[in-house]
Amino acid sequence: MPFPPTSKPAGRRPAMKAGAVSATAMMAPALILVGVFILIPAIVAVIGSFFDFSMTSANWTYVGGANYRRAATDPLFWLAISNNIFIVVGSVISQVGGGAILAAILDRGIRRGGVFYRTIIFMPVVISSIAVAFVWMLILDPNVGPLNAVVKALGLPTPKLGWLGDPSISLWMLLLIAAWQNVGFQMMLILAGLQAIPKEHYEAASLDGARGLKAFWYITLPGIRNVLVLATLITVIGGFKVFDLVFVTTGGGPANATQVLGTYTYTQAFSFGNMGYANAMAVVLLVTAALLGWLQVRLSRRG
Amino acid sequence: MTLRSRTVAIGLHAVVSLWTLFVLLPVFVMVISAFKSQAELFTRPLALPKHFSFAAFERAWGIGISGFLVNSILVTALSVFIIIFASSLAAYILARSERPVMRWVYVAIVAGFAVPLQSVMVPLYQLVSSAGLLNSRLAIALPYAAYGIPFTTMLFYTFFLEFPRELEEAARLDGCGRLEVFFRIVLPLSGPAIASGAIFQAVFNWNEFILALLMLTKSDVRTLPVGIYGLTGQYSADWPALMAGLAIATVPLIVIFLLAQRHFVRSLAGLGK
Amino acid sequence: MRFRLNGEVRFIASALLGATILTTPALAEDIVIKMWTLDNNGYKEFISEAAESFKATHPNVSIEHQIFPGDPYKTALKVALVGSDGPDVFFNWAGDRATQLVKDKLALDITDYGDVPGGFAKVLPQGLLDSFRYDGRLYGVATDAVTKYVFYDKAYFAEHKLEIPKTLGELGGLCKAIRQIDPDTIPMPLGNKTRWKAIHWMTMLNERAMGVAATAADYDLSRPADQLYTDPGYAKAFQALVDLQDAGCFEDAPNATEYAIADSMFITRASPMEYCGSWCTSALDQAGFTDYGFFRLPVMEGGKGNPDANFLVPEGYQVSAKTAHPQEAVEWLSFLVSDEQALKFAEKVQFLPSNTRLIDKAEGVPQSFKDIASEVATVKEGVNVLDALLEATVADAYMNATVEVLNRTLTPEAAVGKVREAALAVQAKK
Repeated sequence: MPFPPTSKPAGRRPAMKAGAVSATAMMAPALILVGVFILIPAIVAVIGSFFDFSMTSANWTYVGGANYRRAATDPLFWLAISNNIFIVVGSVISQVGGGAILAAILDRGIRRGGVFYRTIIFMPVVISSIAVAFVWMLILDPNVGPLNAVVKALGLPTPKLGWLGDPSISLWMLLLIAAWQNVGFQMMLILAGLQAIPKEHYEAASLDGARGLKAFWYITLPGIRNVLVLATLITVIGGFKVFDLVFVTTGGGPANATQVLGTYTYTQAFSFGNMGYANAMAVVLLVTAALLGWLQVRLSRRG
Repeated sequence: MTLRSRTVAIGLHAVVSLWTLFVLLPVFVMVISAFKSQAELFTRPLALPKHFSFAAFERAWGIGISGFLVNSILVTALSVFIIIFASSLAAYILARSERPVMRWVYVAIVAGFAVPLQSVMVPLYQLVSSAGLLNSRLAIALPYAAYGIPFTTMLFYTFFLEFPRELEEAARLDGCGRLEVFFRIVLPLSGPAIASGAIFQAVFNWNEFILALLMLTKSDVRTLPVGIYGLTGQYSADWPALMAGLAIATVPLIVIFLLAQRHFVRSLAGLGK
Repeated sequence: MRFRLNGEVRFIASALLGATILTTPALAEDIVIKMWTLDNNGYKEFISEAAESFKATHPNVSIEHQIFPGDPYKTALKVALVGSDGPDVFFNWAGDRATQLVKDKLALDITDYGDVPGGFAKVLPQGLLDSFRYDGRLYGVATDAVTKYVFYDKAYFAEHKLEIPKTLGELGGLCKAIRQIDPDTIPMPLGNKTRWKAIHWMTMLNERAMGVAATAADYDLSRPADQLYTDPGYAKAFQALVDLQDAGCFEDAPNATEYAIADSMFITRASPMEYCGSWCTSALDQAGFTDYGFFRLPVMEGGKGNPDANFLVPEGYQVSAKTAHPQEAVEWLSFLVSDEQALKFAEKVQFLPSNTRLIDKAEGVPQSFKDIASEVATVKEGVNVLDALLEATVADAYMNATVEVLNRTLTPEAAVGKVREAALAVQAKK
């Protein structure tokens, strides 16, 4: 996503002096909505992170940086962060990587059935995460789930504690479900990027003897660079913000093993009533997301 | 076609086919489970139902899925409309203005993209609550709209930067004001940007769960995701009805997607530039 | 701080949005009581019929009833009570959840409204009134109590000549016997994915190991820090759960199994036993399965528990401190626990009503419900459930410790250590 140009364009257009007031008015709806529903709550969350209070109690006690110090020494906070990072890295590999492979195949690898495959693979994107989570819960159930039935029929061992009940497996299952749902989106995005590369570029390169991998390296990759950055950013931010999927499938369990920042913040805030602490963790998430957004802008600008 | 390239082609087909199959299986499980009885669902998980029974659909419909559906449509339509309206106007001004302050305005709006909903849940709830908007569809549509604006503004901004200015200038010379230029010339030619913005936000808002869970506590205003979540009771869970409910909730979006997918793919192409 | 922020927020919000709200002005004499409950079978019907009858004495009062699934309810309730559109009267479990609302001044002191002729305080027995008493004042109306039994399939037991166990050891032996009949039969599915099934086990196993009196000072954190949760009985209780698991009683992956799936296994007669709540009868009834019996969780060999004690959790309604109609709200609740309505409640919802005067007249309920009602009358000591009784973070630690014990990632002793750790942290804050 490009940044507004810092230098003024060379050719000056007619000045729009008369529109000065109306410009503000035209921006008002967006500014008011973003201000009221995003920026003010974000500021309140930052302020709240320096207080100790519960949702139900009327007194706010100023505690300085205590909530942040608490986070630093809370093993569950670090577990949640590391789970988020696991999901982020795993999702980038599986979703952006998988999406890129599928997109490349659909773009130039096969001749027939492209629209059919594309449509089906994208379909899970429009299904709500709640629905996705419930269906997968049934599939992964250790007693009556189809997956266990299939694995057993193949004569393979099934996990004794269940697909979602074994801490060493459940995070991988979350990755799998997330990939099932999101690969189609990344595929579509990258496919659009691939198809925007003019065919002549390949033809010209082919004349110069660049084919296959070489063409991919010198033409395809630079051509979809911004798309890849965008796809990665969406996946990374999505990985840090993940909530619905974990909330419904594992609830952060077994025994906190799959707790992520989103669910842990929610638990601290709404189950335990530690609003100040929840706000401090929320601010960590917010700063992380903001830094990532900034990084994306920087990366795209060079392009 | 050589043997080698034929083998490669078959291999590539196999890869996409496998993933396609993997995508379809859970959907298949959802649909066949909805036609089974609870006992059959548990004893023969993979088999086709012995008798196709619509009873589960009736039970799911009976809890008010139709109402949830209507609420979801209203909330999604309203929020997407506001998003497109507000974002396109703002992005147009931002893309055309040369005042340095606009750069900061742009940054402020885009920064909103980085604010995760969970991190502001509590203040947001208190805000909506103190405005007396709990349990109103508006309560959910306005924050949804706000959270859709940053991304959509970025989308339109990119689009307007490349929009041919000659047309606007011609209209301006004819005496059209800025607002008129925007609504008469720019917006009608912004189809692709509008389409992709609308689809993105529709998908997000249709599926949003956590705000709806907190703010819509009355069953007659609940949207689909919260309504579906409510299908699992504390002391009893009717899995066939749950699956039927999920199927009912899922089908409309899939149909819309199938109808609009051509436009969608085209408009996505604009995103990555 | 809070007021300034809230004021600001309120100003901006109402300036922006206030004008757009459409409110239908209510007629001066019309009173709407908003009521929130869980969505148990028959609840909706019971409330709507009761609301109709209530009109006889209160023609201007109507009831707006909202139902919720259990787990989100716990969150939604707290959030809503703080917000602007919360319920006037709401369901709650007696214990820490109810007490917390009293401490946060969100639950109304209803002593004076209830202590009038026909008021609930004149109707309910002392013991049940106490379940919502705090500092000598009443903050809730107990409507019912839920209990738990081991339900068993009578035909299966007769066919294989199985006996009702008298001790936990015998229960384990029973599981082994069932596994010998068919190794694929799960004797008593647990279904602990949402963590409350196993905490119900621990509630009773703690009692069976130590008795109610010995644990009380740990549960309410009044015991000195160096002795808190140090009774070896806690580890013994966990060990008893492990022993049952070793005897093959439960399914392989109890922490990944939904409670609903465990319930279905018993309902569809795939499993011959389940430790289930008194609320389970209505689902069994609906599924047409009536040939079942039930028994209390057996005593522990060498345990200090009381065989006359059983799981008994009072539930009831509280009134929001923000309600505009406290008088009518409490009159409505008193009406719900009156003789006649309590009978209807028993018939429709099949829960054990707090007012049992007419329970023998109940019609249309399965025999098992009546049996349970008379069984409950013989319980001398009620055991409240840990996840409602304990402070929220201690309860959470207890549930997680139980999950880990079942997963064998914690030994019983280490699990008690985790609970003690959480309890000490809360005690230190007080």
